[in-house]
Amino acid sequence: MSDGLVRLLDGNTFVVSEETGDIDASPAIPTGLFSFDTRFLSKWILSINGERVNALSIEEIEYFETRFFVIPTVPTPLVDISVSALRERTIGGNFAERLTVINHEPEPVDLRIRIDIESDFADLFEIKDVRNKTGRYYTRIEDGCLRLGYQRGMFCRETLISSTATAQVDERGMTYDVRIEPHGQWATEMQVKALGVDGRDLRESLQGRPGRARMQLREDLDRWLAESPRLTCDSATLAMTYRRSLTDLAALRFMPLTDGGRALPAAGLPWFMAIFGRDSILTSLQALPFAPSLAATTVRLLALLQGVVLDDFREEEPGKILHELRYGETIGFEEQPHSPYYGSADSTALWVILLDEYERWTGDATTVRRLERSARAALHWIDEYGDIMGDGYVWYQRRNEKNGLENQCWKDSWDAICFRDGRLPALPRATCELQGYAYDAKIRGARLAREFWNDPQYADRLEREAAELKERFNRDFWVADGEYYALALDGDGRQVDALSSNIGHLLWSGIVDESRAAKIAEHLLGPRLFSGWGVRTLATEEGRYNPIGYHVGTVWPFDNSFIAWGLRRYGFTHEAGRIAEGIIDAAEFFHGRLPEAFGGYDRELTRYPVLYPTACSPQAWSTGTPLLLLRTMLGMEPRGNHLVTRPAVPPSLGRIELLHIPGRWGRAGALGRAHPALTSRR
Amino acid sequence: MSDPTADFFEAIGRRGHERHLEEATGTIRFDLEHDHEVERWLLVIDRGDVRVSREEGPADCVVRSSRAAFDRIVTGRSHIYATWARNELRLEGDARLARLFQRLMPGPPGAHHPRDFAQERRRPA
Repeated sequence: MSDGLVRLLDGNTFVVSEETGDIDASPAIPTGLFSFDTRFLSKWILSINGERVNALSIEEIEYFETRFFVIPTVPTPLVDISVSALRERTIGGNFAERLTVINHEPEPVDLRIRIDIESDFADLFEIKDVRNKTGRYYTRIEDGCLRLGYQRGMFCRETLISSTATAQVDERGMTYDVRIEPHGQWATEMQVKALGVDGRDLRESLQGRPGRARMQLREDLDRWLAESPRLTCDSATLAMTYRRSLTDLAALRFMPLTDGGRALPAAGLPWFMAIFGRDSILTSLQALPFAPSLAATTVRLLALLQGVVLDDFREEEPGKILHELRYGETIGFEEQPHSPYYGSADSTALWVILLDEYERWTGDATTVRRLERSARAALHWIDEYGDIMGDGYVWYQRRNEKNGLENQCWKDSWDAICFRDGRLPALPRATCELQGYAYDAKIRGARLAREFWNDPQYADRLEREAAELKERFNRDFWVADGEYYALALDGDGRQVDALSSNIGHLLWSGIVDESRAAKIAEHLLGPRLFSGWGVRTLATEEGRYNPIGYHVGTVWPFDNSFIAWGLRRYGFTHEAGRIAEGIIDAAEFFHGRLPEAFGGYDRELTRYPVLYPTACSPQAWSTGTPLLLLRTMLGMEPRGNHLVTRPAVPPSLGRIELLHIPGRWGRAGALGRAHPALTSRR
Repeated sequence: MSDPTADFFEAIGRRGHERHLEEATGTIRFDLEHDHEVERWLLVIDRGDVRVSREEGPADCVVRSSRAAFDRIVTGRSHIYATWARNELRLEGDARLARLFQRLMPGPPGAHHPRDFAQERRRPA
């Protein structure tokens, strides 16, 4: 890991440690054992004869299994190491560490081996600043085990640590005084359990079932890989990136408590191992041709958690699809609104889009019929609650002014939505891609109404509304002097006139007038937006452009995957191919694991993509990016009960063959070969 | 004496059908502690049709809390998920059923329609 931290996880139970395996949490380095948004270990430090250990090597076997080789001295050339230790760590069921200490000397050694243990029971929302917590801490030593606890009202979390070898247990850790024979070894296995109310296993008390053991995790990963489509291709980078993506997507699967063991993609590891509306939907869309089960769980779960009432703190409205759901103390005591929090203006339309796309691929009409009420409520939300200004557009303005999000679109940082000159627009705001999603949701909703809900009148109405929205949008958002669509409208109806990557999403949605599509494609691949690796979030000449500004100049792989899909929709195969090529080239520098974002510097300038420093890797929609790019390059589309392909592989990628693609056709294959003279436009 | 919990369940019983529970079939029992006694309510749900009784007996999902906490929930003064997250309400069995039931909870008093909220904010002070 580039940040020197090692992560292992199973769902939203995870460990972040230093390269030695030690955990010594600080605000700057938030390490620890976490489960359901609470930290259960903030200190886990190994020492041998009073010396802390140094890392020799780390073997990250699977996402749930790691081995650390450590020594209690600083490794020095020509100095023999007399004692070394192996920490074999797994997660799944519990957090377990098998510690083996080896004597390399011809003489016996007497060692004092100690693990210092502590927990601050911090909520995920406070790890950067653990305040004086309101609750009471306690520690108990019982039957050779150490029990750490935290109680606030009826809220209770406990960490229970046990060891197979007999230890001297004190309130701050466990000590072993051992003698190891010449060339001998000593071992113990330590178990750490995260417990909830009444001392019950936390997963069992929250999810109704305990965590999975390592064997189950391994079998599950093997099955997941075996069921995935098989890729053979000329590009070694693409092959590596594809393999990495499949494994990372497996790690990102999150099993919600209400869906009987079925999984949906969480947003990112480790801090965003939670249900997010937008991230789960977009990742499920990207992965549809590869793992349609993710989309099935996502549409069902988000419908189950769909908004019902008006709630300002949670920004809930009837029919709205959630933004984020959490489990920790700050949620329980209503210091944070994620119970769930509904502050996103795009997830509701995107949910309708996913539902339709899911049926197109899988033919699962039952789900579409079952979710009719939810889908109608979502479509109603667009007009009733999304349209804050009553002018037919989707807007957002936070009602939770304490800790709600200022920008409720995917570019949700405070300065992401700006004028050319850098000013920030007044609220409410209507970003352009929200209108595209609303348009697409209405078109797709109409198909569902006609084909599955037996309501042609409703279908006609949705189509009429979509056509009116498209016409209005092309009038009000078109920046005449720049020949592109404005990033947004502000509360006074003014165009927020910055040139941004958002215009690429408009192609995906189909809201762009045919006559203007070529101009949009030209902007996307032009020098102001295209860096050589991909499309920047904001064009270089804008006031707030910064090549390492989170949403104001970096390149986001996921953003590019949807832009490429949009370009193909309008027939710009060459342009779509250039984006696919650039992003896959970039993936090589990240060993196949595309980051959330990288710098917007010109490719000619830096020659390699500059990593944007974020704590989360892998990020779900970056992991989904190579999958959507494959779909785009192979031109894969469901038509009736068949998979049709219109391959347009860029020259540098040669041949791409994808077999065993699941869908309503059973399994099918797709083959694409680079054409030397791939021309622009159809 | 006012009894919001009884009012809430009796109203469900009178309506007999809940649009929001049309995807639900199963039984939920509420064990609500009050004056050292447990007050029980049993909901038998069949695709939105709901029968309310005070019967005891097994259920697919059991919700336990104090009556006082449940009174706050059914009057919109507490949020059921937050109450669960801070362990004042416990859940056993079918969590999906409990989640569907949450749809019947009233919102907090004084919440705004986004349109009204935006208008209030735009009105000069």
